[in-house]
Amino acid sequence: MVKIIVIDNGGQWTHREWRTLRDLGVDTKIIPNTVFFQEIVDENVDGLVLSGGAPRVGLTGELGNCGEYLEKAVFPVLGICAGHQYMARFFGGEVKPSETPEFGKVELKILKQDVLFEGVPEKSIVWESHNDEVTRLPSVFEILAESENCKIQAMKHRDKPFYGLQFHPEVEHTEYGEQVFRNFIKICKR
Amino acid sequence: MFNAEKFIEESVAKIKQEVTGKALIAFSGGVDSTVCAALVDKAIGEQLVAVHVDTGFMRKNESVNVEKLMKKMNLNYRFVDASEKFYNALKGVEDPEEKRKIIGEKFIRIFEEIAEEEKIEFLVQGTIAPDWIESGDKLRDNIKSHHNVGGLPERMKLKIVEPLRDLYKDEVRKIARALKLPVSERQPFPGPGLAIRVIGEVTPERVEIVREACDIVEKEIEAAAEKGLMELPWQYFAVLLPVKTVGVHGDRRAYGYVIAIRAVQSIDAMTCAFSKIPFDVIDRISTRITNTLKDKVNRVVYDVTNKPPGTVEWE
Repeated sequence: MVKIIVIDNGGQWTHREWRTLRDLGVDTKIIPNTVFFQEIVDENVDGLVLSGGAPRVGLTGELGNCGEYLEKAVFPVLGICAGHQYMARFFGGEVKPSETPEFGKVELKILKQDVLFEGVPEKSIVWESHNDEVTRLPSVFEILAESENCKIQAMKHRDKPFYGLQFHPEVEHTEYGEQVFRNFIKICKR
Repeated sequence: MFNAEKFIEESVAKIKQEVTGKALIAFSGGVDSTVCAALVDKAIGEQLVAVHVDTGFMRKNESVNVEKLMKKMNLNYRFVDASEKFYNALKGVEDPEEKRKIIGEKFIRIFEEIAEEEKIEFLVQGTIAPDWIESGDKLRDNIKSHHNVGGLPERMKLKIVEPLRDLYKDEVRKIARALKLPVSERQPFPGPGLAIRVIGEVTPERVEIVREACDIVEKEIEAAAEKGLMELPWQYFAVLLPVKTVGVHGDRRAYGYVIAIRAVQSIDAMTCAFSKIPFDVIDRISTRITNTLKDKVNRVVYDVTNKPPGTVEWE
């Protein structure tokens, strides 16, 4: 059984991430972002999800111990919303308050096919809820998807299995959200 | 995938261990509290006392029907009419968070009184995941204080038992169906009831208006869904706005309140899309509300906000 831990950054949908993984047959649990990396390693994890949360990564840059996880992880990491923004900043990108924040329904356009988006059409509906966004991509990342008002909706590390998503694949109204999780589970199995 | 039968078995065993004395369940008659009551009843039987509080903010005939349900389920129950207490406590209060907290505390004080009389140690609540998620905690922002979580006073004597804490509504419905409970498909209704569907100060007159409007919205939408004109939304109701607008009634000027209709589609209330109700159905609702409540309401609007950015209830 694949084991994926959800790091709780205080998001409204952290528990939904846990639920989606559980429903897909993953051994999963939620852990607060204050635990040290060693505790996660001791759990024998195959992958990590960094949840979203209320912290304004665009303003403060703080997100518990997520930095330690990103520095040391040798397994796949999926950052969602604040988790994604933090990942970008950690690797040298820039996060700022969005000119046009997105809440609710948005059309996602995939720019570059990747394992994470297998089975997801070029255009699909996703659900958003963010005040900040990644405004400059870290040099070691590439952009996978965009929306009308947010150019970095999905990104991938060039050498490591690290992914960031601005939209929320864990909620019911994101059309292919479950598919994205299935793909991430596949990535964790490798 | 979520397995209702397995959950029932494990949960009943766990409750047997955890609840070592008499317990009181806060019984609203909705899906969550009814399922919870059934589980605890299986675990400790006669040791459980179900308490239904008529806050004065329930929907049309609702409390009467809840009493029938408690009888039908063979529960050892108490029915408390506390409407006067609730209205008094909310006099002059306009802030939605304050309303929710006052209501939450009133509930607990009533339960504590009964607990004292009956020597009860445990309070069982039908709390589900969105209740504590939206109420906030050390990590999470407070979106709204659900009366059964964020509305709890800091100091209280009863030990809280929440068997459904990690579940969402769609999973609770699966348990309700497995237990063959008649409430399995009921639409959600908030604990603070119509008090948070009256924006601004709550008065008996305003609650009466929104009660009638909610009844019309429910009946029309259920009839339309029955006829196959639309899918039954996750939740559908009316909200009374504290705004007056000008109208014309039989060549005379009218000046009355605005009713907003809210209907959303969801499976778990964590995200929602506003329902695409056919215009004919909205038309009927609008005409019925303005004609029935002619002296009070002369304008009806439809809420086209998704969640996020909106929440389902307005307060």
